[in-house]
Amino acid sequence: MAELHKLVATLKSALEAGAPMPAQEHPVHAAVPLATDAFRAELVARFARELEAVGGRFLGVFTPAKATDRIVALAKETNPRLVAIGDGVATSDADTIAGALDAAGFALMRTAPTTDSEARAAIRDRMARADIGIAEADYAIASTGTLAVLSMPTRPSSLTLLPPASVIFVRIDRIVPDLAAALDAFGSDTLAANRMTLITGPSRTADIEKRIVLGVHGPKSLDVLVIWPHDD
Amino acid sequence: MPESHKPRDFFEASAAGAADHELRRKLESASARHLEHFEQVRDEFSPYEAERTAARAIKQDAIGRLDELLVELAKKLEAHGCKVFFAANADEARGYILKLAQASGAKRVVKGKSMTTEEITLNPALESAGMEVLETDLGEYIVQLRHEPPSHIITPAIHLSKEDIGNLFHEKFGIPYTPEPAELTAEARTRLRESFLRADFGITGVNFAIAETGTLVMVENEGNGRMSSTLPEIFVAIMGIEKVIPRLADLPHFLEILGRTATGQKLTTYTNFIRGPRTAGELDGPREMHVVILDNGRSAMLADPVLREALMCIRCGACLNVCPVYRHIGGHAYQSPYPGPIGSIISPNLVGSAAAHLPFASTLCGACKDVCPVKIDIPRILLHLRWKETSSATPPDWPAAANRARAGARRFAKMARHPRTIRILGRIAAMILKPIAHDGWIRRMPPPFGNWTKIRDFPRPRPRARRAAESPDAKI
Repeated sequence: MAELHKLVATLKSALEAGAPMPAQEHPVHAAVPLATDAFRAELVARFARELEAVGGRFLGVFTPAKATDRIVALAKETNPRLVAIGDGVATSDADTIAGALDAAGFALMRTAPTTDSEARAAIRDRMARADIGIAEADYAIASTGTLAVLSMPTRPSSLTLLPPASVIFVRIDRIVPDLAAALDAFGSDTLAANRMTLITGPSRTADIEKRIVLGVHGPKSLDVLVIWPHDD
Repeated sequence: MPESHKPRDFFEASAAGAADHELRRKLESASARHLEHFEQVRDEFSPYEAERTAARAIKQDAIGRLDELLVELAKKLEAHGCKVFFAANADEARGYILKLAQASGAKRVVKGKSMTTEEITLNPALESAGMEVLETDLGEYIVQLRHEPPSHIITPAIHLSKEDIGNLFHEKFGIPYTPEPAELTAEARTRLRESFLRADFGITGVNFAIAETGTLVMVENEGNGRMSSTLPEIFVAIMGIEKVIPRLADLPHFLEILGRTATGQKLTTYTNFIRGPRTAGELDGPREMHVVILDNGRSAMLADPVLREALMCIRCGACLNVCPVYRHIGGHAYQSPYPGPIGSIISPNLVGSAAAHLPFASTLCGACKDVCPVKIDIPRILLHLRWKETSSATPPDWPAAANRARAGARRFAKMARHPRTIRILGRIAAMILKPIAHDGWIRRMPPPFGNWTKIRDFPRPRPRARRAAESPDAKI
């Protein structure tokens, strides 16, 4: 009995010492630690299914080296005049991919920060002419097949918006179960970028007789690769 | 208010809509397609009911402390470099945006879909100041080409068939006629892409504003909202005061239901989180970002304990799709940017007294309440507004048809006190009408009842005695 009283007293003082309870309680969605490969595989499978359901294409799970090969092969299929690529988030894979595309002879643009308005306008014009935009996503959401992409000086929002073909890769340990987990992972501080976009499939409309057409204003295609960082 | 907002026009416009069989076919097929998608994604998502409850609770809480949340939101947005303007009414909001556009020398304005800008009639003001104003949502683009307002808050061109749009593009652009949605969309893409790259001023609406983080959230499918908010040097976001929610963690509850009810999607293609203009080194995003927070009748709704609930609306459009009246007469008959059941309860406050008749344009069937993702009791609010309207000091200027209906109802009330007379009249009517009925329905009634059968069939009246005799467990 004494222990219980002691516990209650401890809880009471803890509650008083802590912040007052918010009036409205919401379910807490903590990010699930990706402990096992089996769970990761499950998330990837769900993500792939949902992505394909909204008209995206799931290219598979690759080691970094294989992912680079796959992207170069993809570029060869479409024969682009210009490929735009932004900096990575969790990996330095962007450099490797850019190097490989360059070696394969593709015209390439890397997005570098600038404060000069003419330089910015020039980058915009080039971006508008790029046929493929390649970017790494910060997170992927399994339940909806969504990619979460923060905009940064080296990875502007237009990279995943203006080029008609979007190629996005994401690291396997950055696939989270649902939207709440993704926002939790960003946290209110990391959401400090001026823009963050959740991308769920290629741009689409159903404004004419509710018939779905892909590729209205944004990308017409969305190809996604998942990167497994172990080379085994 | 323009002449067209008078009640008489509602009778005419709704009668015209109801008599337009082609329009009804389009509305029925679009609504059916929508409901099919919606029901599927809802049934697959087991927490749907729980999310509805959570979303409603959050909105209720947020609306209960709009005063503090809006202050917090504005403070955060300003810290991110936004300029925040509180507009008490449509004139102030329109004036602010117009002045801003003129001062910056804007020539080409691109807009994402925003019913709030329709509410403040922004486009004519910018156009008469010599600016080119382009609606970039495909549906909005189509209705703008036809010089007409949107007829649905989610699907602005729902009243048009693909053939209508094919003809429109053929006439306006001189391209070969095609009714193929994919080809028409591609044509619009090419034309609008050029405009996006040249635009100097962008305007969009807002779906949610998070007070805690000072983030505006805008959902869309096409990417035109992203373009309008990212590419032009000046960007204006406009939102009603009711769009604010307290915390980032509240947002998923809304996003989980909004896409599902609005378009039958788990999540819309793009969910944009925007918090400020571009900062040093950034390659895109506007140089200046303004946030216009609009009251325009909303605080009056807040002050009305029954009407307050209408501020919880997240503008998903689901109530339009299930409403038998909307599906019968189409969105244009409402002559408000907000048609359908939700429009009937918010328009009187947001558009003004010219929409005071809209609460009467309902059968009170309750389908809207059932489908509403935040469970707004629309029928209750409709009755409340009817009561307010009819008990006001100055009786509304009813059209003749309404007065005739009232007189008829009074005569019926008198007659209803004499059951025997009713029975006799009923038998006579049944006898007269029997030969002209087919399968129990009368397609055309003799005058003065002909108005009814203009747009719907009338059931053949059967005398009560006979009905009772046919029914084995009837007790008289």
